[in-house]
Amino acid sequence: MLEGVVINSRQHVGLQKLSALSGRIRSSVGPFKSYKFIQDESSGDSVLVCSCFRIIENLEPNCAVGQLVYETVRGHHKQYRTGSGCLLFLAGAWSRAAMDSLQRGISVKHLITAMSEGIDICLDVCKKFSLSFKDLAVIEKCTAAPGGTKKASTDASVEEMANFHDKCLSKSGQRKVKLSRHFCEAKSEMLSTVRDPDQPDMMVIAESLSHGCEKAMKLAVEAAQMLLKTNQQRIRDPLFDISKMLTCLVSGLPEDCACVVEGCILLLSDEQAAVAHVVKQQPLKVALITGDLSPTYRHLGFKSLPGEQCVRENLDLSASSKEDEWVDKVVKLLLNLEVKLILTAGLVSQKVIQHCGRHQILVMEKVNSSVLKTIGSSTGAIPVHYATQLTESCVGDGVNVEIWRDLSSYERKSLTAVNISTGRNSGLVTVVVTSCVHGKLQALEDQFWACAYRLHQALKDGALLPGAGGAEVLCVHQLQKQAEHDRAKDSKTGSAANLYRGLVLQLMADGLIDYITAVMVNTGSFTAANARTIVRKQLTEFHRDEISTGKFLQLVSQSKREDAGFSAVKPDEAPALNIYDNLSVKQEAWRKALDLVFLVLQTDAEIITGTGQNNEGNLMLL
Amino acid sequence: MYIASYLSSLMQMSRLVKKSPSVCTDLLLNSSDVCNKLRLMKELLKSSYGPTARLKQVHNNIGGAVVTTSTSSVLLQAISSSHPIISLIKGSILNHVSRFSDCGLFASVFCLSLIEEAGRCDLSKNVIIRVNKHILSLCTAHLQQEDCGCKVQLDFCSSQSLITLARSVISSKPTCVLSEPESTHISRLAVQAFLLTVPCNIPDKVRLGRTVIIPIEGHSVQKSAVFPGLLLDTPENISLGNLCSPLRMVLFSASLAGDLGELGDGRIEVHQGVDTDSQILGQLLELGKQVLKDEVKLFVCQKVIHPVLQHYLRCNAIIVIERLGISLMEPLIQLTGAQPVATLHTTIPREAYGEVHNVSVRQFGSKTKLHLHPAGKTTTCTTILCHRNETMLNELKLVCQKAEHVLRLTLREPCALLGGGCTETHLAAYVRHQSKNNVSESSPVLGCSQTEYLVAAEAFCRSLESVATSLEHDDGASLIDLTHAHHWTLPSDVTEEHLEDATALCGCGVVQSCQNKKWSYLNTEYAEFSPAPLLTASPLQPTVLDSFTAKVNALEVAVETANLVLDVRYVIQDVN
Repeated sequence: MLEGVVINSRQHVGLQKLSALSGRIRSSVGPFKSYKFIQDESSGDSVLVCSCFRIIENLEPNCAVGQLVYETVRGHHKQYRTGSGCLLFLAGAWSRAAMDSLQRGISVKHLITAMSEGIDICLDVCKKFSLSFKDLAVIEKCTAAPGGTKKASTDASVEEMANFHDKCLSKSGQRKVKLSRHFCEAKSEMLSTVRDPDQPDMMVIAESLSHGCEKAMKLAVEAAQMLLKTNQQRIRDPLFDISKMLTCLVSGLPEDCACVVEGCILLLSDEQAAVAHVVKQQPLKVALITGDLSPTYRHLGFKSLPGEQCVRENLDLSASSKEDEWVDKVVKLLLNLEVKLILTAGLVSQKVIQHCGRHQILVMEKVNSSVLKTIGSSTGAIPVHYATQLTESCVGDGVNVEIWRDLSSYERKSLTAVNISTGRNSGLVTVVVTSCVHGKLQALEDQFWACAYRLHQALKDGALLPGAGGAEVLCVHQLQKQAEHDRAKDSKTGSAANLYRGLVLQLMADGLIDYITAVMVNTGSFTAANARTIVRKQLTEFHRDEISTGKFLQLVSQSKREDAGFSAVKPDEAPALNIYDNLSVKQEAWRKALDLVFLVLQTDAEIITGTGQNNEGNLMLL
Repeated sequence: MYIASYLSSLMQMSRLVKKSPSVCTDLLLNSSDVCNKLRLMKELLKSSYGPTARLKQVHNNIGGAVVTTSTSSVLLQAISSSHPIISLIKGSILNHVSRFSDCGLFASVFCLSLIEEAGRCDLSKNVIIRVNKHILSLCTAHLQQEDCGCKVQLDFCSSQSLITLARSVISSKPTCVLSEPESTHISRLAVQAFLLTVPCNIPDKVRLGRTVIIPIEGHSVQKSAVFPGLLLDTPENISLGNLCSPLRMVLFSASLAGDLGELGDGRIEVHQGVDTDSQILGQLLELGKQVLKDEVKLFVCQKVIHPVLQHYLRCNAIIVIERLGISLMEPLIQLTGAQPVATLHTTIPREAYGEVHNVSVRQFGSKTKLHLHPAGKTTTCTTILCHRNETMLNELKLVCQKAEHVLRLTLREPCALLGGGCTETHLAAYVRHQSKNNVSESSPVLGCSQTEYLVAAEAFCRSLESVATSLEHDDGASLIDLTHAHHWTLPSDVTEEHLEDATALCGCGVVQSCQNKKWSYLNTEYAEFSPAPLLTASPLQPTVLDSFTAKVNALEVAVETANLVLDVRYVIQDVN
C-alpha cells in the first residue's frame, strides 16, 4: 500500500537544504583546494577527495534536493569536467538570496522574474566582456612590446618545460630512442610552430587557464600539442580531439614523474609482461574484441536457456570440457591468423591469458573503446564481438608493442607498462599520472582532465573571460548599477512596483561577492573580512570610473589589478600573468545554478510513495 | 457496522485461520478523516495548477529517483491512498487525462471543490446531484453555442492562434524553466510538428501521422528542432557508402540475438556435439544472405541483433540498427511501409520490405543519429528536444506531448476556450444569471424548492470560481469584472488602482482595463448579471487559450465524479 505524504514549511526547507549542501564545498572552490577525507561510517571505508564534483559524488546525497543537485552537477561534469564547484556554490549563494527575499515578503513570482533578469544581465556582461582570441593576440603584442617582457616569459616557460622534461620519466635512461625523439626536439619545435597571428599562443592561454594546477596544465598542453602534431592538423585550427587523449594512473612513483607519451600506455601483470618481452619491437598483427574473452560470455540481450540438458549416447570419459574446447579453438584460430596482440574492451578469463601466453600472444583487457576505435582505423582492424568471429579481414597489421617502463622495482608486485602504438600516426596520446600516494591519483587525474577540457573548451569558444574573479566583479558592478537605477526610478515615481527588483538584484550580486571572497579566503592569505574589504574597494573604484562598455582594454587592465590582488598570494609568480576563465563553462554553470534555485524555490511539497516507516514530524498521510 | 463474511469462511473449511469480518462505513463524507484527506488532496493539486504553480518532488522512500513536476498525470499516479474515495477520484481523472492529456488539474480541483461545497450547504445530497447535472447540461449547451462569450474560433489560415494554444500548454508547467523566447521557440516547434503530421492529400480516410520526441540533455533549448522523417540511434562510427536512393529496408520485430528466447522456461534435451547456439547463428546468417541477395540496404531490428550477424551485414555495406524499441516500431512502419518480420525461420516475403528515400547522419552533441528521409510525402516527424537539465527536460517532454495532443483535438472541434480563468468566471456568471431567471421553471422539474435550487446552483458557481482562484499562488487577489465576467488578478503588493491602470489585462488577455470598469472579489457576493459579449471590429487576440474539447470533457468528468462520490452511501472493505 502506498501513502502520499506532504511536507510543508514556511521557512522553505528545500532552499535551506540546497544552501547547506553547497556549504560543504565552500572550502573547495577556486584554485586552492584542500583534500578531504570522506568516510563511510558503516563500512569504515574512506576516500580522499579534492574537487567539488567528487565531494558531492561521494557524499551520495539521498534527499530529494540532494538528488536534484547531484543530477545537475553530474550532467555538467560529464560535459565540461570543470566548473562544478562554481555551479554548486552559486546555487547555494543564490538560494540564500532567494530565502532573504522571501523573508522580506517578495512573492515567488516576482522573485523568479527578477532573478531571471539578473542572470540575463550576468550572461550579457560575460558576452560583452569576453575576449576573443583576436583581442588576446592584440593584448599579447601590447604587453610584449615595451621592455620585451613577453619574450622573456615565453623563454622562461620553455625553459621550465625543458626542466620539467628532465624530471620526467621520459628522460630516464631506459627510454627507447623512438619516443624520446619528441622530447629531445620539443624545445625547438615548440618555438618554431608557425601560428596564425590572430591566434594567441596556446601556451599563454593554457597558463592563464591553469588555475593553480600548473603541472596538470603543462601535461595538458604537451598532450594537446603532441596530438596536433601527430594528426598533422592545419595550424589554423588548433582544436584538438580530446577523445584521443588517455590517462594511465601509476602509483608508487613521485608526482614529478608524470609525463606525456605518444601512443597508448597500458599496465601489464607479470605473466603478460613475459609475453610482451617476446613480442616487443616488431610489427604485430592485432585483433580487437569488444566483448569479454571467455567461453561463457554472451552478448548483451542474449538469454541463455535455463533448461538445456545434454544427452550423451555413450559415456566418454576422455572428452574434454566445453570450456577447454573453446579455448583450444580460439587459440588455434589466433595462431592461424598469426595474431600476436589482442585488445579487448571487456574482461579476459585467466585460462585464455595462460593459453595465449604459452603461444606468445599478448592479451590485454579493459581497453578504452576509443583506443580500439583509433587503433582499428589506423591498422585496418575491425573490432568484433567474439573471438570466434575473427577472420583474415578483421585482423589489423603493424602494431608495435614496446616495454615502456618496468615499474616492478617500485612496488612489491611486479608491474610493467607497455606502449602500444602504430607506426602510421595512430594519433593517441597517453598522459601518465603518477603519485606515491595511491589515494591521490584520482584527484590528480581529475585535475588533468579539468585542465585539458578547459583548454579544449577555450579553443572551441575562441574566447576567454576575465578570470580571477574579474567576470564576477564586472557582473556585480552591472547588477548593482541596475539595482541602483531601479531604486532611483522608484523614488522618483513614488511607486513600489520595482522595489523588489532592485533588492533581488542586489542580493544576487551579494551572492557573487560571496563567491569571490570564498575563493580569496581559500587561498589562505585573506580573512573573510579582509577579502570582503578588498572586493568592496575594487567595486567602488569601478563605480567611480564608470567604465563604458566599449573600452574593454581599460577593463582588462582593471581586471589585471584585480589579479594582482589575488596573485599577491604567490609572490614567486610573475605578476603580469593574466588569469582567464572559460566563457561557456561559466555561463552554463551560472545558468544551471539558477535553474536549481528556481526548481527548489517553486517546490512546496514532497510526495513520498511506498511503504515503510517515516517518523518525520511534518508528514501528512493521504 | 460490521457484516460478517460467512461465505469466505465456509469456503475454506480446511484452514483454521479465522477471517476478520469486512468493515462497512456509513455516510463517509460526514467523517472528518475523509474530509481531511479530500482537503489535503485538493490543496496538493490546487497548488500545482497553472503557470505560477508550486512544484512537487515525487519519490519513494527507499531512495528512488526524484521527479519534480506539476503535471497531473504524474502527481495523480503518485498519490495513492487507503481510502477508496480518493482512488475513485484519482481513477476517473487519470482516465480523462489518458484520453485528452490536458485539463487534468482543472477537473480534479473542480471535482474536489464541488464535493467540498456540497458538504458546506445544508441540502440533501440527492438535490445537489440533480441540480449539478442540470447545470452541467446548461453549461455544455452554452459552450456549444455559436455565440458563446468564452469561445474563440480557431483560424487555420494563420498559425498564430495555434501557437497561442500550444504556448498556453507549454508555459503552464514551471518545471520546464523556460524563458520567454524559449517557450515561443518550443511552441512554434510544437505547431510545426503538428502540421507535419497532417497529410496533404486527403484520401477517403484521413490518418494523422506521428511525432517522435527525442530528448537530449545538456544543450540549450534553442537547439531543439523538428525534422520530417525519423531519427534513429546509431553507433558512433557509422559509415555511409555511396547509396543510391531509394533504399530497401527490412524491419524485424523478433529478437535476432541468437538465443531461443521464445521457448520460455521449457526444458530441452540436446545431443552431445550439437551446438544450439551455432545452429541458430547459422539460421541468422542464412537470413543475412537472403537480405543481401534481395539488395536490402537498411536492416533494423526492434530487439538485439547477434554481433556476428551485424558484422556480416556491415561488411556487406548494409546499415544495421538494433534495439529500436517498441515505441519507434509504429512510426517506422508508417514511414517506410515495411511489415515487421516476427520470425527468423522463414524466408522474408517481398512485401515485407519497406523503402526510405535516403539516409544521412546527424550529430547532436555526443549523440549520433541516423536520419531516415521518407520515400514519399510523409506524416512522420521527429522533434529533438534539448534542455540543460534532466528534470526540466523530462517535464518539457511531457508538456510537448500534451501540446501535440491538444493541437490534434482542434481538428475535431476547431475552437478554443479563453484561458487564464476567464472561461470559469464567465461560466459562473452565466450560470448565476440563468439560474436566477429560470428558477421557477427548473425547480419543479428537479423536484426541489426554489431556495434549494438557488443554493445548489450557487455552490456550483463558487466551485467554478474557486478553480479560477487556484491560478494565483502568490497571495494575490482574484477578481471578476462586472461587465464581461473575465478573470483578473491583483498582486498582493499592488493596490486596486493598478487595475485601472490602462495597461492591465484580464487573465486571457482579451479585455483591457479602463476607468469605468467595476470589479468584485471572487469569493464575495455580487449582483448577478449577464456577461456582455465583447464587441470589437477585429477578431479577438487572446494570449492564453485552453483546449475546447479537453475542457468540456473535463467539466463533465468533474461533475459526474463529484456526483458519484456524493452518491456513495456505504464503503465495504475487506480487511483481510
